[in-house]
Amino acid sequence: MRHRNILWFASVLSILLILPLITDDAFFLRIITEAFMWIGLAMAWDVLAGYTGYLNFGHGVFFGIGAYTTAILMMRSEWSFPFALPAAGVVAGIVALFAGLPTLRLKGAYFAIATWALSRAVQQVALVLEITGGPDGMRLPPFLNPKFFYMLMLGIVTATFLLFWFLMERASFGLKVRAIREDESGAMALGLNPTKIKIQAFILSAVPTGILGGMYAYWITFIDPASVLGDLVTDQAVVMAVFGGLGTLFGPIIGAILIFLFKTYFWAYLADYQVLYLIILGLLIALSVVFMPNGLWGTLTGYIGARQALRKGLAVNPQAENETEKGDKTHE
Amino acid sequence: MSDPILRIDSVTKAFGGLHAVDDVSFEIYPGEIIGLIGPNGAGKTTMFNIVSGYYAPTHGRIFFKGENISGKPPYKLAERGIGRTFQVVKPFPGLTVLENVIIASFCRYPQREKATAHAWKILELSGLADRANVSASSLTLAGRKRLEIGKALALEPELLLLDEVVAGLNPTEADQTIELILKLRDQGITILIVEHIMRVIMSISDRVVVLNFGRKIAAGKPEQVAKDPQVVQAYLGGEA
Repeated sequence: MRHRNILWFASVLSILLILPLITDDAFFLRIITEAFMWIGLAMAWDVLAGYTGYLNFGHGVFFGIGAYTTAILMMRSEWSFPFALPAAGVVAGIVALFAGLPTLRLKGAYFAIATWALSRAVQQVALVLEITGGPDGMRLPPFLNPKFFYMLMLGIVTATFLLFWFLMERASFGLKVRAIREDESGAMALGLNPTKIKIQAFILSAVPTGILGGMYAYWITFIDPASVLGDLVTDQAVVMAVFGGLGTLFGPIIGAILIFLFKTYFWAYLADYQVLYLIILGLLIALSVVFMPNGLWGTLTGYIGARQALRKGLAVNPQAENETEKGDKTHE
Repeated sequence: MSDPILRIDSVTKAFGGLHAVDDVSFEIYPGEIIGLIGPNGAGKTTMFNIVSGYYAPTHGRIFFKGENISGKPPYKLAERGIGRTFQVVKPFPGLTVLENVIIASFCRYPQREKATAHAWKILELSGLADRANVSASSLTLAGRKRLEIGKALALEPELLLLDEVVAGLNPTEADQTIELILKLRDQGITILIVEHIMRVIMSISDRVVVLNFGRKIAAGKPEQVAKDPQVVQAYLGGEA
């Protein structure tokens, strides 16, 4: 089983590595590059939302901070890109540390509101500061090499994927954050320090997002508060992760690919019906939340897993289970 | 007798004007099973929450192995050797039974492989090994209560606080749980147990502490306490 996974991973990665060698289609490479970026953003959001159970509606703030960090270091301090890019991750991580201390005490909707408010506040700050160029934004020196950005984006997102896979699925950290998600006060009795684990998860979610932001700034060469600090970055990442399946490694990847491709092709070929895009997307999300609360990937694996369990005799049919549940409640 | 493992020194916990626990003192010695009883609302669970670090006492101090632990957070106390269960069981429902116990095992075995091996031992001990890979939410009430004990045991505690682990079980399940508790005592774990079922408390406790309206009204051997007029009155007056 594990060997098969490694084989899958290696084949997908090698196809993606060969792709820029066999095509010079800039539009095509650009779409794939942006798809990588959204995969990274959706995965990073899911670390905190799906695995840890904290819905961050200000996730885009780390993307924007990363973008501005790279831009400011390159334009105002004349750093070169290889140094300005990691700095974006460092700054995003530090912001997460200080933003997390007060906000991660909040639960549910209150955390969502607090993070959303933080992102609005940071956007306003970027609008009034001089160093960020205010509403005019910042222009970076153009570096027109689609293949460079393709490869770098692929590298960053692959590294993020491997890091998350190791921490969330292999190491102890993944189980600890799940314990926090399931029952924070119960986890405390087992020796887990919720504040520490939540802050770690928040930073883990923020750092790749900041790096992707820095990457975006240099790639697109123009950033302003509306494009990198607006709601859209968060909204898209949220929708992709929810549609694909929260709390899984592959859910956000699949969600990001499907929704991003849908958006791109809709805008490219049905530009006259642009107004329909958001309507269809909204409907799609509403339907998926109602009928597939575990997302596309979660529903798929859940269905396969349940069939296997039934076959192996590890589970009984759901109706019998419901009855024991009711029985238990009367006991309590 | 040796030094007490737990010393509760005139502890009070007030919620606003209500004294849920009022100037309670008692001691627990290593290897004992102490029953904590009292009518509903007597402050038993509050006492548990204070000892396990969920509440800081308003007044008074708590010593664990001679060290003042009042106000220390639960996860620090878990590391020091106090394990607890919850009256309303708290399994991690979305995780498997095994994963539930692995999480608790991280406290002593930070590496995942060692924690997993330790978790299997705990599951054998608590009789859940055959259900290791099912989701914790699909366990019956008896299973969830056993899981609750198993998780506390995975911490390798010196002092174990059991909050109504027998209530709600059928007689066979109850006997199995009692057997488990006695086995743990024989392994050298000191136990403080809250239980409504008198048959259980009276048969397994070395000593009993009785609370009523937050105050300690009696303490001693089970048979003495059962004859104490104040205790009789508290039960008949409080619950009849």
